[in-house]
Amino acid sequence: MDGRPVLAFDNVSKRYRLKRGWHFASLREGLSRARRRLFASNGASADYFWALRDVNFQIQRGESVGLIGSNGAGKSTTLKILSRVTVPTRGTFSAVGKIGALIEVGAGFHPDLSGRENVFLNGAIMGMTRSELERKFDSIVAFADIDRFVDTPIKYYSSGMAVRLGFAVAAHINPDILLVDEVLAVGDAAFQAKCLNKLAELREQATTIILVSHNMTNIVQHCNRVLWMDRGTVRAAGEPEAIVEEYLQSVQPQKASTAGGSVIDDDAPVRVASVVIRNHRGEADAPLSYGSAGCFEVEYEVVAPVPDAVLGVSFENAYGAPLGGLTSRLAGIKLDVSRPRAVMRLVLDPVIFTRGLYKLSVSIQDEKLQRFFDVKPRMTTFTVDGPSLASREVAGHVIYPHHWQQDGDA
Amino acid sequence: MHSFRELLQYSYLILSFARRDIRARYKQTVLGAAWAIIQPLSLMVVFTLVFDKVARISTDGTPYPLFSFSTLIFWSFFASTMTQGTLAMTSNATLVRKIYFPRETLLIAILLSAGVDFLVACGMLAALMVFYGATASWTMLWVLPLLGIQVLFAFALVCLTSAIHVYFRDIGHGLTLGLQLWMFATPVAYPLSVVPEGIRSLYLLNPMVPIIDGYRRALLYHQTPDLPRLGITLVAVVALLGLTYFTFKRAERTFADVI
Repeated sequence: MDGRPVLAFDNVSKRYRLKRGWHFASLREGLSRARRRLFASNGASADYFWALRDVNFQIQRGESVGLIGSNGAGKSTTLKILSRVTVPTRGTFSAVGKIGALIEVGAGFHPDLSGRENVFLNGAIMGMTRSELERKFDSIVAFADIDRFVDTPIKYYSSGMAVRLGFAVAAHINPDILLVDEVLAVGDAAFQAKCLNKLAELREQATTIILVSHNMTNIVQHCNRVLWMDRGTVRAAGEPEAIVEEYLQSVQPQKASTAGGSVIDDDAPVRVASVVIRNHRGEADAPLSYGSAGCFEVEYEVVAPVPDAVLGVSFENAYGAPLGGLTSRLAGIKLDVSRPRAVMRLVLDPVIFTRGLYKLSVSIQDEKLQRFFDVKPRMTTFTVDGPSLASREVAGHVIYPHHWQQDGDA
Repeated sequence: MHSFRELLQYSYLILSFARRDIRARYKQTVLGAAWAIIQPLSLMVVFTLVFDKVARISTDGTPYPLFSFSTLIFWSFFASTMTQGTLAMTSNATLVRKIYFPRETLLIAILLSAGVDFLVACGMLAALMVFYGATASWTMLWVLPLLGIQVLFAFALVCLTSAIHVYFRDIGHGLTLGLQLWMFATPVAYPLSVVPEGIRSLYLLNPMVPIIDGYRRALLYHQTPDLPRLGITLVAVVALLGLTYFTFKRAERTFADVI
């Protein structure tokens, strides 16, 4: 934090035209619109949409800032202004230093040109010079892992190869400020690890990083500050874990709203009716405790008795990553379909989730797990108390019953 | 001033775009760069049939194929810079939408890549001149300043038309037709002398007239171009360029929003 910000939004607002993909489709429409504007002074505002309203923030050198928010919150517009692709309608944006963008990598590729030609073309588009590219060429090809195909036209590349090459070029810009838009989602696990290492490396070199992602794990792991955008404004800014948690709480009601409806048709013979979660003291709707028992009571309705129905329960973390699940089939237990209503309990003893918010999905399937009678995705959520494990530390949300042994120990 | 300095920094990008345009144009073609001369050559054949064999236009003793080809290659160069330049922003829409770079680099790259085709056609013209036994002269050097004015003019025009095309696709549709009409309002296929006195002053308002006429004078008739008229054209072109370049730089800031 050495005083002057490298990026600053000062009361930035951005307005778009709404109609017809935001531009006049033809001269005729433009003329008629101009005529309307001349003769009718009111009503013009209906044609516009404010993607950003009076957005203020400052980013210091070396910061890694995450930009989160639901679709349409203004993240992309913010990135566009940051990357100088467009300008604010009102307010000012200022930047100090060279800005590089990892936005839609490979946008500048030409399918008929070879990988080699495209590296030079794409690098040039991103503002690199010829000598710079010649110097970095081998490293780019090695990073993308495409050395056998450098002289093959890009159109014969697999989509994964093309994306890797695009990222490799972008990762070699060495800008002062790097904008990253959801690109961490590309490539296989090994390539993603490479990308994350590159980000960490850039951060160590005091590169300022702006990361836009829907993956909250990445946001928490790679940012030291988060801006939460909501309907064109900055709703909150601050410490990543706190802001991410607040954000997730706010979007939760919408996501869990399927509680009433089933994704399967209405005449399902067996349906999930409700679920109650109890902690080890039997209290409903209280947080579960790590290391103690937890009970999931699923009430189900039987409309038409079907044989061989089994219950499935699965868990997701707050960011939507699956954490596994269980079916009653594993224990050889079928649903009791002799009564119109019954309850089945799943007891976890102990609960091995770390502290945080979790989502629960419930399903009823036939015994062969080939047919779903009912599915209630993200039916409800629950929280777990217990040891706070920074999500930086473990890339998951469970602590398995375990112990470590090292050679030499008794 | 700032934009010129920035443009200089992006000179490598201009070359890269130009190289891309050239490579991509003739990839997966059998005839390759031969296409660069097929277009003016076929126009020459058509014109020879129509203007020479049927209309019997007087060319002061110059064989008609040479007479028309000496201006056709320049006009083809002009027309292709206009066509490709006008579409430059929209045909690179994904780039314009996603990445910042001075947008006029795309336009300059097109001047360069079309220039390569033009050079190929120049070779063809030289061959034709040798074939018909035309003699060389120092006046031929006038081609260079003429070409300079033509390129500036084309650049000034595409600064405007490419920006308009981002908003109104109409201009793309009207362009081919407009260029064809414009060619017939320019002494490409016929000599300036056949233009009737009555409409001569109107005719001369076309800035391409002294340029195209100048090429022919310099290459075939060992004459200097019509310098006073050319001077007026130059002043007009520079003024136009100032205006359209400024407009382009203003408009390019929000191309990404509308393209």
